[in-house]
Amino acid sequence: MSNSLIKIAVPVIGLVAALVLAFVAYFFVQAWWAQPPAVLGFGDGPTQPIAFPHTVHVTTAGLDCQFCHRTVSTEEAATVPAVAQCQFCHDFTRITGEQSSSPTAEAEIAKLIGDPLEGPEPINWVRVHRLPDHVQFVHAPHIQQGFSCSTCHGDIASMEVVEQVRNLKMRDCVDCHRDNSAPTDCTTCHY
Amino acid sequence: MATRTQSTRADHKWGMVIDLDRCTGCQACVIACQSENNIPLNDQAAFLDGRAIEWIRVERYWEGDYPDIKARFLPVLCQHCDNAPCESVCPVYATYHNNEGLNVQVYNRCVGTRFCGNNCPYHARLFNYWEPVWPEDFRNQLNPDVTVRTRGIMEKCTFCIQRIRRSTRGGKQVEDQAFNPACVQACPTDAMTFGDLNNPDSRVSHKWEDERAFRVLEALGTNPSVKYLKQVDAHA
Repeated sequence: MSNSLIKIAVPVIGLVAALVLAFVAYFFVQAWWAQPPAVLGFGDGPTQPIAFPHTVHVTTAGLDCQFCHRTVSTEEAATVPAVAQCQFCHDFTRITGEQSSSPTAEAEIAKLIGDPLEGPEPINWVRVHRLPDHVQFVHAPHIQQGFSCSTCHGDIASMEVVEQVRNLKMRDCVDCHRDNSAPTDCTTCHY
Repeated sequence: MATRTQSTRADHKWGMVIDLDRCTGCQACVIACQSENNIPLNDQAAFLDGRAIEWIRVERYWEGDYPDIKARFLPVLCQHCDNAPCESVCPVYATYHNNEGLNVQVYNRCVGTRFCGNNCPYHARLFNYWEPVWPEDFRNQLNPDVTVRTRGIMEKCTFCIQRIRRSTRGGKQVEDQAFNPACVQACPTDAMTFGDLNNPDSRVSHKWEDERAFRVLEALGTNPSVKYLKQVDAHA
């Protein structure tokens, strides 16, 4: 091989290798430091099928979280109430006159009724907090240990549109478990 | 016979005893496990390729010639060895022994080297060579308490840890026989007994000391948490 070819080839190979290394390094740094994760709802509340304001229900009406999210202290999931439960309260508040009478609010509440003959359709709420499938999170023990919902979900009472406020990555969970001497065995959550 | 495993575990040491005298080889445990733990359906090709995923399987051995023939059955599941050969070879610490005597597989850590499966003398570890697929009708019957394993992940019997978690969550005290893994629950002849070996009054602790008790491949020194009770022939 001639001397001139080596003179060209060496810098070219070096440049390509440097580029590949830089790309790999960028990939790792990006994966490691990318905050917040691309999680639905993080820092930006998705639009829900019904513009349900937690502000009105929690702050104005003074409802406890567990009034609607009924299984949070006993089950895995906090659960969203059935439409029938929404309707029951709204029928009641319409009679007592406690219900807001603004036209926008009326329009949103009317979505609960659905077809008068078929009855209400279940509402397709957009999920805001989602953990990966290999995480088995259970609400019950956290509530039973006396943590308030706002520890993880933020000040929902003042949110017009619910959004995720904590990144809920594993480090977040493990830090809190360590601080409260909760189990940190992998199979506490992963099974 | 063999003494109970000396254990410094804090509260629980889960174990199982399988009475081979009662086992009829009916495969109810296999089906129960399959549906409890979101195990994909195995077709004939999967069995022929040796790629079928069964966390518990019933091994069949024929003894003698017709008409004096006898079928012996041996249900084999992960033995949750206290001295597990699979754990020491995992390069990413995806399988380890937890403080309840369980041999644990952490799916999100597993990178699929399959070293553990190669090192398991009981063939209890199964690798997902493909993405699991269920028929459309079956998708709504997946157990939400169990992670669906993706391609490239090693999996195995967990002693139905989701049921253990559900019963002991928050440091709850559990009665003996308050819950059972799916296979034990499904066994029609009550051949399988599951429980806490740290509790000297539990059913499984009593059976653990039975004079018929033996462990599979005991000579390897893996010290399994599963014992079998030998089948005794009336006319032997």
